Amino acid sequence: MNLMIDILVNVIIAFLAGSLILGLHRKIMARVQLRPGPPIVQYLLHSLKFFFKESAIPRTASMPFYVGIVVILAVVWIIGVIVGPVSHGSLLILFGVYAIYKIVEHNAGSSSGSPYGKMSCVRAVLSAATELPLFAAIALIYFKTGTMNIGEIIAYQGAHGPLALSIPLAALMFFILILTKSPYSPFAITKAKELITGFETEHFGFLRGFLMFSESIAWYVMLWLFLTIFFGPLSAIWYVVGMIVITFITGFVNATTPLLNPNHSVMTQITIAGACFVGTLLMIFI
Amino acid sequence: MDKQKIFCIILLILSVVAIVYACIFPLATWIVYLIAIVFIPGFVLALGLLTMAKPRKEDAEERVKEPFTGY
Repeated sequence: MNLMIDILVNVIIAFLAGSLILGLHRKIMARVQLRPGPPIVQYLLHSLKFFFKESAIPRTASMPFYVGIVVILAVVWIIGVIVGPVSHGSLLILFGVYAIYKIVEHNAGSSSGSPYGKMSCVRAVLSAATELPLFAAIALIYFKTGTMNIGEIIAYQGAHGPLALSIPLAALMFFILILTKSPYSPFAITKAKELITGFETEHFGFLRGFLMFSESIAWYVMLWLFLTIFFGPLSAIWYVVGMIVITFITGFVNATTPLLNPNHSVMTQITIAGACFVGTLLMIFI
Repeated sequence: MDKQKIFCIILLILSVVAIVYACIFPLATWIVYLIAIVFIPGFVLALGLLTMAKPRKEDAEERVKEPFTGY
């Protein structure tokens, strides 16, 4: 297939699948909390609907960064699609993508002029420490497989079995990262309810639709990456099953767990990451 | 026609042309990546700025103050 068509198809799949999975996530959370919840397709409809809503740029916003940061978020996750599902490139580039995502959280909050956005921006800096588990997981995968290339990691698992079985604690560490990024997560300190919607509070109308477009792609890429680097070569059906299972687990956890305060959130994640890192090293080298 | 609308139309046309060109003609891999990274978000941005509803003139001033007036 032509490379550009391949990228376009993957971006569209990522947007549609990501939106539906996020819709499913809300539905699961609602059902666990004994609410009917919105239809699964609601997240997708909201993303599209916002493109036609009245939009204005607040006087307190820092232009052109206020709009530019939304474009940067889309750029970041299209790079994620290219490096992940399209080219099976390097995990290090995806680590860079996650790092830039944190910068987007920071700058979207600070450029808005809203006190909620600024508070979210401060928390984004604090929660940057939670990227350590991702780096540690990537390092552990390198120790085990001798490569950081996703294509070669898939081939390694084809020959030796899924990494989730040989280094399960690294998979758990990566799963905690997914949990962190999921909506209404106990670790989601940048979008806590006391901050309205945190760094996105002042991005309404079309800009919110654009943010939701990128976040759908982000969620899809994260789930795809987890399934690919820990469960090996999978068919499309197994990807769908895997994504739905992960969404059920995160939805259940998020529906039943209160939001941690920022310090507890960061310390919990770092503690789990530290324990999993040492445990995995022991499993690899002893 | 205001400047923003002209900018959006140019960006939209440029994005569509670049993406369609890369779909039809074989290009170096890095050029295709560049087109995807720049013009897919550019296309969505231009489309959104064109499709979004604008406030009425008498409401425009009030809208930019919303919702954190005086901060």
